Order: sequence, then C-alpha cells, then structure tokens
Amino acid sequence: MQGPVFSFVPGDSFLHTLDPRTKLAAVMLLGILTFRTESFFGIVTLFVFFFALASISGLPARVFLRAVRPMILFIIFIFFAQLFFTKGHVLTSFWILNPSLEGLQNGLRLSARFILLLLFAALMTASTDPSAITSGIERMLRPLPLRWLGVNSFELATMMNLSISFLPILFERAERTKVAQASRGMYFGKNPLRSVSALAIPLIKGVIRDAEELALAMESRGYQGTRRTSIHELRMQRRDWISLFALILFADFMLRF
Amino acid sequence: MIRLENVSYSYSDGKPAIRDIYIEIRKGEYIGIIGRNGSGKSTLALHFNGLLKPGKGKVMVKGMDTRDISMLQEIRKIVGIVFQNPETQFIGRTVEEDLAFGPENLCLPPEEIRRRVERVLAEIGLENYRYHSPKTLSGGQGQCVALAGTLTMEPECLVFDEVSSMLDPDSGKLVLKHVKKLHEKEKTIIYITHNLEELHDADRIIVMDRGRIVLEGKTENVLSNPFLLDLGLTPPPLMDLAERLKKHGVMIPWEKTSSPSNFAEEICQLFLKT
Repeated sequence: MQGPVFSFVPGDSFLHTLDPRTKLAAVMLLGILTFRTESFFGIVTLFVFFFALASISGLPARVFLRAVRPMILFIIFIFFAQLFFTKGHVLTSFWILNPSLEGLQNGLRLSARFILLLLFAALMTASTDPSAITSGIERMLRPLPLRWLGVNSFELATMMNLSISFLPILFERAERTKVAQASRGMYFGKNPLRSVSALAIPLIKGVIRDAEELALAMESRGYQGTRRTSIHELRMQRRDWISLFALILFADFMLRF
Repeated sequence: MIRLENVSYSYSDGKPAIRDIYIEIRKGEYIGIIGRNGSGKSTLALHFNGLLKPGKGKVMVKGMDTRDISMLQEIRKIVGIVFQNPETQFIGRTVEEDLAFGPENLCLPPEEIRRRVERVLAEIGLENYRYHSPKTLSGGQGQCVALAGTLTMEPECLVFDEVSSMLDPDSGKLVLKHVKKLHEKEKTIIYITHNLEELHDADRIIVMDRGRIVLEGKTENVLSNPFLLDLGLTPPPLMDLAERLKKHGVMIPWEKTSSPSNFAEEICQLFLKT
C-alpha cells in the first residue's frame, strides 16, 4: 500500500486504542524533550524509546521511512551546515572548509532531533484516525476562550476535517483543469508564468463553486457552526492515564541528565 | 405539510429566478417538478428548507415560516435535500462519518447517532462501504451516500434536486428505486428533474418555465399533454407511443406505459384478443 506521508494505518495495537488526546499530549511532550536533550546518551535513549513504541504499535517500518524520506535533503543540509560552520577544534581541512569536532557533534545532534520529531509524529498519525485527531484537538481547544478570535473549537475541528478531505479533490480538479487547457492547445513547458494564470483562474473559480455547493449541503444538514456532538466518543480510559503518568516519569528521568 | 404562497425570488443582479409560485404539498405526496435548464427548479428546491428565503411571499413548513431563523433547525429536520453533484455533498472522510454529520449537528448523543447510521446503512445497502471514503465510490453509490446522509436526519420530506443528471442510466434507476421505496414508507417526495421518464411514479407533476408554474396536474395528464413539446420537454417514449397508438384507435392504459415489458405485454394481449 503506497499511501501519502503521515497517513493512518488501521490496527488494534495498544497505541491504536489510546485516546487521541493522550497521543497528542505525548507527541508535544516528546517534542519538548527531544529539543531539551543535549547529551548523546539522552538522544540514544529517545531512539530506544521510539523503537519500543514502534514495536508495540506493530506498524510496518515503511511508515516511518516514508515520514523521514522527504526531509532527508533538509536534514543532510543541516548536518553539513553545522559541521562546517561551527567554530571549535578543527578536525581536518579541505580547501576553505574546516570541519570541527563541535560541528560534528552539533550536526549529529540536530539531525537526530529532526529525525526523532518526524518519527514521533509519524507514530501518532499512523496509529490515529485523522478524524479522531481533529476530535482530540477540538476537545483540547474547547476550554480556551477562542470566541475572542471569533471562532469556536467546533468550527476549527470542522475546518480541519474539511481541509483534510478536500485536498485530494483540489488536486484532482487541478489535474482536470490542466488536461482541459492542454486539449485547447496550452503548452505548459513554454511559458510557466502564463500557464499559472491559465491554471489558477479556472481552478479558483471551480473551487469557489465547490465550496458554495458544499456550504449549502452542510447547511441543509443542520450545520450551524455551533456546538455539535460526535459519533466518535472520546473517553479517557485507565490506560490513557497510566500511559501519561509513565511518560511524565520518563520525561522527568530524561531531564535530569 | 409544505405551502409556498406567492413566492418570488430574484438573484443579486435583480434578475427574477422564480415568480409568484403557489404550491401546496400534502403529507405522503409524491410530487414531480420539471422544467428546462434555467427554469428556476433548483432555486425553488432551495426554498423548501429555508436555504434561500423568499424575496416576496412565504414558505411554510408544518406551520413554521422559513424566514424565522429560530425555526430553521426544526425545518431542516423535517425537510432534507439531496443535491445534484454527489462529490460536493460529502463532508465526512468515511461513509460512516458522512452519515453521522447531520445527527451530530442535531446534538444527538453518540449512541443514537450510531443507531441511526447503522439503520440507514442497512436500508440503503451500504454496509460494505462503511469505512470507505465516499470519494472513491461510483457516481451511483455516491448519490446513495448523499441520500443516506440526509436520511440519518430522519426527515419527513425529501427533495431530490436533479440527482440523476450526473449519473449513468443504471445508477439513475438505482436512486429512483430508493425514492420509490421511501415513498412507500410514507415519506413526502419532491423529485426535481428534466427527464420526464423518471416521473412515472409521481402523484402529481408541476411544470416550470422561466420561473413560473405553467402546468400542473395528475402525472398521467401532464405527461400526455402536447404543450410539453412547446416547452422543449420530450415526453417519455412509451407515453409518446401510446399517444400515437390512441390516434389509431388502440388504447394502452396509462399503468402499462411504465416499462417496456408492461407495454409489450399489453400489446400481446391486444393481439391475442383480435
């Protein structure tokens, strides 16, 4: 199965059954921990922790490879930038480049941190249904005084859900517009700037029409942008509290180094 | 159940879309509305549950005025609309979530939402697609999901706005079969189309042209009315054939024009008699 990056892989592991709020909180905590950990021992421990979670989740390794792959060039760039531009004990010298020991350490640390962040994020998104993630975010945002910004958590959740489900339609429409323009003699290689307007204008028009139709359908089915319930009932179970408690203990242990 | 009193509506540029519409729909009735493109049918459809408010006149649903904002949620519980394009009606990521969208807006408890979703999935025959993305389904199945999404609101009246115009003939028939079943369950049906063949089962037909009602009557009488041709509407082929045979003294009863097999049966019987 070749799904997009960070897509959900259904399953029934311990991680899959956790409440999305537990997992969101865990990813935030692990994110902070990743950037607070300075020592190599700490980073290795975080990798070990990740592998332990990944094996519990039963998710295939390709899920994680797919999450890291698109960022690999960026990570390599960061590594070399740190290696060559950090002042310190010069290891060796090529031409004008003087890689330093500190640079090597910094580069490895920073690359490892980025990889860890991507891996933890992939672990959450692959083990949680996207609509459960949005429900989780909605429930976490609910106590915040969002109405000062003119929105509420229900609207935000609906917006997130719609964006997730409408992205593929947008791409499909762009492809259709491209084919339609090409069949009328538009040559996309010739003048990229002209092709942008030839693509963008019909695309935006189409998207606005789709959005209007969608808004009518939503309104017809009683959507008012106010409080609504959900078919997915979120309930923090004992295992959620235990997991969170264990994670806090782990964070405490890590921060002592 | 629904009453439109002298309803007129104009677009923002002042061009009138519908003019002086008076319709009274009784509970359990099956009404067909036909007209060419641009005759105002779809604008009319949006008036049945208050998605558009009349510029003049009023729309009453079970005694509630659609201009009264506090009544809108109640009105939308009673009247559901299924639109033309299934793709732009999907809100959920999976069929199940899409079906749950309406009841969620009604703030029903999760158990009740699940009960309704379960019941409608079985009713429309979508159990196997429960966790599929509605976008991956065929046009006909997609339109069934759109219908199912309206049914979980448990409306008493369903408005179908050109639901088959983007479907292949077989998928169109599938949707029509569900419409017939719903009518048998005493739901009020308003079926809007420009294809006269789809209206054979309707009790009554309203013909629209340039925003006005130009003809109204029992299905049988409207479909055999030669005035339809002047309005650019082609009568169903079997009705047309029956009309032509009538001129030669061969009478085919109205019920027999519903399908080619019924029609053929009747002709055979007539042959055997002579």
